Amino acid sequence: MIAVAVDEDVETIRGAADGITYPILIDADHVVTELYAISNVPTVLMIDEDDNIVQPNWSAYASDTFRELTGINSETQMDHIRAWAKVGTLRMSPEDAKGAVHDLSSEEEQARLFFRIATRLRNDGDAEGAERNFVTAIDLAPHDWTVQRAAQPLRGINPFGDAFMELYTAFNEAGRPFHGVTGH
Amino acid sequence: MANNDIVMLEGGPLIDPAALENALGWALKPEGLCKDDTCVIVHDRAALMSGDRVDVTAVASLIDRPAAHDATSDLVAIGAPRDLRRAAINDMRAPDFTLPDLDGLPMNFSDHRSKKRLLVAFSSW
Repeated sequence: MIAVAVDEDVETIRGAADGITYPILIDADHVVTELYAISNVPTVLMIDEDDNIVQPNWSAYASDTFRELTGINSETQMDHIRAWAKVGTLRMSPEDAKGAVHDLSSEEEQARLFFRIATRLRNDGDAEGAERNFVTAIDLAPHDWTVQRAAQPLRGINPFGDAFMELYTAFNEAGRPFHGVTGH
Repeated sequence: MANNDIVMLEGGPLIDPAALENALGWALKPEGLCKDDTCVIVHDRAALMSGDRVDVTAVASLIDRPAAHDATSDLVAIGAPRDLRRAAINDMRAPDFTLPDLDGLPMNFSDHRSKKRLLVAFSSW
């Protein structure tokens, strides 16, 4: 297992990493969300010994924390992961897996680049420039959680407060757009 | 792929053509836009230029990479080649990447090749 934090908050991630032995990587520039067309977390992929993606972007949970919101039973998902790890059972047929993830739109690509510029300006101490570029990124991809929600803590907004419900409502109204597959 | 193929440039999109190879890995040569043994024919070289400067966002477009320019800060971000993401979603081939671990040490996804890997994107937000 390789965990990628779509995050720049190394200390918070470190605090949650106590006792974990698998690699945890920090992706402050959102490289992986660009390369794999990831639009929300948690997103899980199963990749075989030869670099083939046998389970593309999958909204899978290690616990039932969000079960009320998602209706997803994490234990069933964990069973799929264990079956693949032990005996190679695939959750999706290769035919279904191919094309299960839609490519990013040009707006979603641009949003990732403006997010990157915003992060750079924030690190340089240019709060105004950072905010300008975060807003540009959010306007381009308003329902992409790796853009709007990831920006909230960096913009001084509590990602677990009112802003969450506003985003969640807008996301539902937009038909829950997700680059990948959901379900057990 | 140690640099993840993403680029951030200061000073706007118009750069010295001599700096292009260092910035993007591709150089403007008489035969076209070249990287190692590969060259892309440039049909309209003038469209890439502004005076004696080359527009990196126009070059990025030619080699199928996205680019964004914040005019106020003059930062230019250039994304990864779109081919890498298409390989993931159309050909089911996992693109490699390099990221720092919690101690800041770089790790390649490909360091774990020949094992089954569960790749989990998560966050604190």
